[in-house]
Amino acid sequence: MTAELEIPPHNDQELVARTQKGDPTAFDELVVRYSPRLYGLVYHMTSNHEDTNDLLQDVFAKAYRSICNFRGKSSFYTWMHSIAVNMTINFLKKRNRRQHPSMNDPDSRIENDPDFIAATSNGDPTREVTVHELQKKLNAAMQKLSHEHRVVVTMFDIQGMPHAEISKILGVSEGTVRSRLFYAHRQLQISLHEFKRN
Amino acid sequence: MHRVIRLKRYEQPPQGYHEGFLREFHHRQRAELLKPSLSALLRERFSSLMSDFRVPAMAYAGAASVAVIAGVVILRQAPPTETPRAYSVSYSQAPVTIQKMQPVSLRGDASATTLPPNATFPPSYLLQARPASYESSLSF
Repeated sequence: MTAELEIPPHNDQELVARTQKGDPTAFDELVVRYSPRLYGLVYHMTSNHEDTNDLLQDVFAKAYRSICNFRGKSSFYTWMHSIAVNMTINFLKKRNRRQHPSMNDPDSRIENDPDFIAATSNGDPTREVTVHELQKKLNAAMQKLSHEHRVVVTMFDIQGMPHAEISKILGVSEGTVRSRLFYAHRQLQISLHEFKRN
Repeated sequence: MHRVIRLKRYEQPPQGYHEGFLREFHHRQRAELLKPSLSALLRERFSSLMSDFRVPAMAYAGAASVAVIAGVVILRQAPPTETPRAYSVSYSQAPVTIQKMQPVSLRGDASATTLPPNATFPPSYLLQARPASYESSLSF
């Protein structure tokens, strides 16, 4: 009986070094590793699947072109997220009022989420809201936020990043992150007052 | 509010999206390689424009005659040479005066040659250099 050799997953630093030496398969691994997370970041900012796909392709293309300039002063994670955030904000500034939301279908697990049950029925069966209704309202509320506020809500509330990581990605102080979150939550509370718990 | 917003994490891309993402990335990279750069595009446009451009039969003769006429005009309008007079005028515009000049006697009798202190002397100049044009071309 032979013991199955498990190849340990390469860390980002090693993959970056291999890419810088000209190994394109190393970058492929980085794409596979980062695309789901960056998809979420860009998607929750744009609320459009097609725009997200195009933007994400451009983000990875830009990262590949400039990876030789990556000196490791920050982590690759921070670097990639910074590229994604900057490109998305630039895109949103250009897109401006031309918005055609194309929302992805929520995962069916949402219906079992206690927060979803609490938010939609809130103990009152007459006030039941469907998944799509809730999704529509959440997206509308997110789109009302400024780009700077939307990005902090996406990273903190949806993706669960700590304040310190967000401040590194955005290049602002932690205080600024907290302040933006405070104002964004206040605005979201106004937009989503019907889901407020009693 | 935080909990309600967190529900957005359930919004997922279509099934199999991430599997196809890398394939699309490779496809786009290859397409980008085939796409000509801006400089190449401009070069190509310029060369095609030049190939379409037909030179009239008498254009070369016309261009040659224009060049000859321009040469004659330029040669006739030779730049004026500066004369020594011009130099003297330019130097005299900023005269140099030497204050409290006391002549020194080389003889023994100092009182015979010493001038009163209020005596004035017209300024005199000594040019150290000769004009370059006076130099012999073969002097080393």
